[in-house]
Amino acid sequence: MYQLSAIELRDAFLKGKYSAVEIVKYYLNRISTYDNQIGAFLQVYEEKALQQAEKLDKKKQNNEKLGKLAGIPFAIKDNILIADELTTCASRFLTNYRAPYNATAIKLLLEEDAILIGKTNMDEFAMGSSTENSALQKTHNPWNLKCTPGGSSGGSAAAVAGRLCPIALGSDTGGSTRQPASFCGVVGYKPTYGRVSRYGLVAFGSSLDQIGPLAISSADVALVMEVIGRNCPHDSTSIQSGPEEYLSDFKPSMQGLKIGVPWKFLKKLADEPKKAFESGIEKAKALGAEIVEVDLDILNSSVAVYYILATAEASTNLARFDGIRYGQRSTRAHNLDEVYDFSKEEGFGPEVKRRILLGTYVLSAGYQDAYYRKAQKVRTLIIKSYQKAFSQCDLIATPVTPFAAFEIGSIKDPLQMYLEDIYSIGINLAGLPAVSFPNQLTQEGKKPLGFQLIGPQMQDRLVLNMAHILEKELPFNYAIPELVKEKTHD
Amino acid sequence: MTNKHNHPSHDNWEAVIGLEIHVELNTKSKLFSSAPNHFGDEPNRNITEVCTGQPGALPVLNKEAVRKAVQFGCAIQAEIAKFSKFDRKSYFYPDSPRNFQITQYDYPIVKGGTVIAEVDGVEMSFAVNRAHLEDDAGMLKHFSTFAGVDYNRAGCPLIEIVSEPCIHTAREAVAYATAVKAILQYIDVSDCNMEEGSLRVDTNISVRPKGEKGLRNKIEIKNMNSFSYMEMAIKAEIFRQIEAYEKHPHLPHETVIHHSTYRWDPEKKETVLMRRKESADDYRYFPEPDLVPIVLTDAYIDEIKQGLPELPLERERRYVRDFGLSPHQAFALTSEKRLADYFEIALKGCSNARSLSNWILVEFPGRLKDKGQDVISIGIKPEHLTSLINFIEKGKITGKIAKSVVDDMVANPGKDPSEIISANSDYQPLDDQAEIERMVDSVLASQTQSIVDFKAGRDKAFAFLVGQVMKMCKGKASPQIVNDLLKQKIEKM
Repeated sequence: MYQLSAIELRDAFLKGKYSAVEIVKYYLNRISTYDNQIGAFLQVYEEKALQQAEKLDKKKQNNEKLGKLAGIPFAIKDNILIADELTTCASRFLTNYRAPYNATAIKLLLEEDAILIGKTNMDEFAMGSSTENSALQKTHNPWNLKCTPGGSSGGSAAAVAGRLCPIALGSDTGGSTRQPASFCGVVGYKPTYGRVSRYGLVAFGSSLDQIGPLAISSADVALVMEVIGRNCPHDSTSIQSGPEEYLSDFKPSMQGLKIGVPWKFLKKLADEPKKAFESGIEKAKALGAEIVEVDLDILNSSVAVYYILATAEASTNLARFDGIRYGQRSTRAHNLDEVYDFSKEEGFGPEVKRRILLGTYVLSAGYQDAYYRKAQKVRTLIIKSYQKAFSQCDLIATPVTPFAAFEIGSIKDPLQMYLEDIYSIGINLAGLPAVSFPNQLTQEGKKPLGFQLIGPQMQDRLVLNMAHILEKELPFNYAIPELVKEKTHD
Repeated sequence: MTNKHNHPSHDNWEAVIGLEIHVELNTKSKLFSSAPNHFGDEPNRNITEVCTGQPGALPVLNKEAVRKAVQFGCAIQAEIAKFSKFDRKSYFYPDSPRNFQITQYDYPIVKGGTVIAEVDGVEMSFAVNRAHLEDDAGMLKHFSTFAGVDYNRAGCPLIEIVSEPCIHTAREAVAYATAVKAILQYIDVSDCNMEEGSLRVDTNISVRPKGEKGLRNKIEIKNMNSFSYMEMAIKAEIFRQIEAYEKHPHLPHETVIHHSTYRWDPEKKETVLMRRKESADDYRYFPEPDLVPIVLTDAYIDEIKQGLPELPLERERRYVRDFGLSPHQAFALTSEKRLADYFEIALKGCSNARSLSNWILVEFPGRLKDKGQDVISIGIKPEHLTSLINFIEKGKITGKIAKSVVDDMVANPGKDPSEIISANSDYQPLDDQAEIERMVDSVLASQTQSIVDFKAGRDKAFAFLVGQVMKMCKGKASPQIVNDLLKQKIEKM
């Protein structure tokens, strides 16, 4: 069963091959078998998922109409609110926070009969690229347990890669679904800004955040996007459009598609990732795509711009975690200032503190012009550069990361860690849809390398459509890590 | 107290005052959430996840609040911004659930504008700098061993109306604030209840020697929950600042008065230091990423302009023009919309507007002010006032009796004056000519010296004679008739 994609699993359920209870029990069993090594889950909803499955089986028996996601177990990144459940954001600070409402994305999943199986680990408040910043546990890459799964949606990526569930939700502020997807050999998606409601997603960088699915295939991602990609009255930045059909409108081929590649910007890429990327481009050509060169040199500034804007927004978004209303209050505090000081000191990890300080600094009087305002201007230039590029092509292709998964503890310098995001964060700054899907494994260490397709705003369907065509032809071919393969016959 | 504030050497100084008026809009729901915007309920009843800043909750702008802000802008002839936006203003305080306020920093919805108010009988024009939308904070409640936060008020819509520093006296400040309040009530955008905090005024005050160009350090006074406190606070603060400068004429002025925040202590009748502002607060304003800008069309703004009701200034001018009221009377009446509405109902079927206005503004308040009541709140019907004026106008009762009738009306609100008059024989007008004549004769017979004095040209003697007759008839005879009779009879003597 673990080899099935979400769509295959749902169809098997609809055809009566498996009951929902069988599916849930199966995946709960896999979680208990493998997650002690992987560490993807922070919480597993054993009882609740089984109850949901029982209800669904009854619904099916009664011949009631079943949702688009019927019987599919979902893992949810722990910064997305599920009513009555803990939402920790993998922070020590929020270990006591129980969500009073469902995020819009969760509500939509449940309406289509998805089964919520648990919450996944992440970098604290989604700040990081390795999930090492989780204050709660380490998550390991199922392809190589010494390696990180990437981040910040590392738990979601590892859970799907380990086939502990066929699909998961993550969030992407600067690459946080795509980079871990690339590290773990799964598909990770960042929708057009405003496509998926942010209501109920704990905010990091509000103008950059998007919830996105991580899955085995682009088709599975498309299925989830059909459900969660719609206007939400609780999110003012939500796109004013109804739900879209993706899968039924997929074109069958890449013929005539123009793909832009910013070769100059990719010059510094190391040999192996470069060769892998080039062979992916060759494959696209073979499938009928035309390759053109586009100029995106401005993206060399994107990391700097991102770490100013995202931290500025984060410094205010996280201000509410102060030990008064939200967050564990320090027991050492005897007055108001101490409640603020000690609670934050005890509650936040070093990376979160670093980013709050940085964000506060770039917004401060006397520095705002030099940092925040200037970064906003460069952001506008980045948006314009993408617009210009898209006047010459339909999609843009780049790698997802400069390297494959790195070992846990190997990157100590935060700036070097930030540079991991060089190929992913320009997309958030411009609000574009982008998908990361597995290309091939590295020669040494057999670690996945991803391939990224980027579209103009609103072209979510085209992006997933072309990824769906290309991913099937790439050498990775939906490979599963040895660690989690079942030795007996499935 | 008052004398202390009129020190002669203080005439060489002038005060520069600017007001920030925070007005809670009377919308159905809050500025960014669907929670009810309602005062006085049990703590933490009117809240949603947005009001309490729950993680993941997002603001959605209330269109009714935008409309009300635009109505106010149109009412003061301001420029309505076709593009305005919200910003985050960061500061830490337990009543602020997100630890930032959503306000409008560099692109307010209302720019400029003019408020005209009557100061000591003269119309003055006050310039408004801006008015912007923002959300209110919750309220801290202190208990013996802990403090709690009531979030009912958190997220309620406010407009902050910022005047130019164009005000120079406490009376001007009160007149301006009164006029702003009147406008807000006329266009029905706020309850303007100062005690409930739906209208709050912060005052910025500095003083300088007359003729000096620059502005000296200013003091902000908070928490004045009535206009009379505001007037006292401003007077006291101006006095304090001038005294401080005069005491230290040789010190650099910035070392004498420091930027600080004071509050008015109504018990001590003085301003009390809350905190000194060591450096300018850094609120780290930046655009609120969770909201899109407010974009308004000309058609939308025009429609609101067209729909504005008669405003207090127009009404005031109409009262002067059509009813012959003095500007002061007209301003006093029209500044309270309900009072002016009451006046107009009472005026129907009544011919003397000035007399009516006088009874509403002078006689009733004189009897009710100490009780914190007014003619409307105790339940006197406007029709009853009409009937009272008509009794007087038709000479059915004298002014003196009318005052007694009003005493009775205040004691028994809701009772028709015609009932009061008919039930009390002392209030019956004395229109029996023969009876009045008898009284006149009797007075003339006993006051011969006054007749002599009057004939010698002393008018006071005549007034004395009238008074004697009125006394005898207990004020029930028409003074006109008494006058006429006395004159006739004395001439014949």
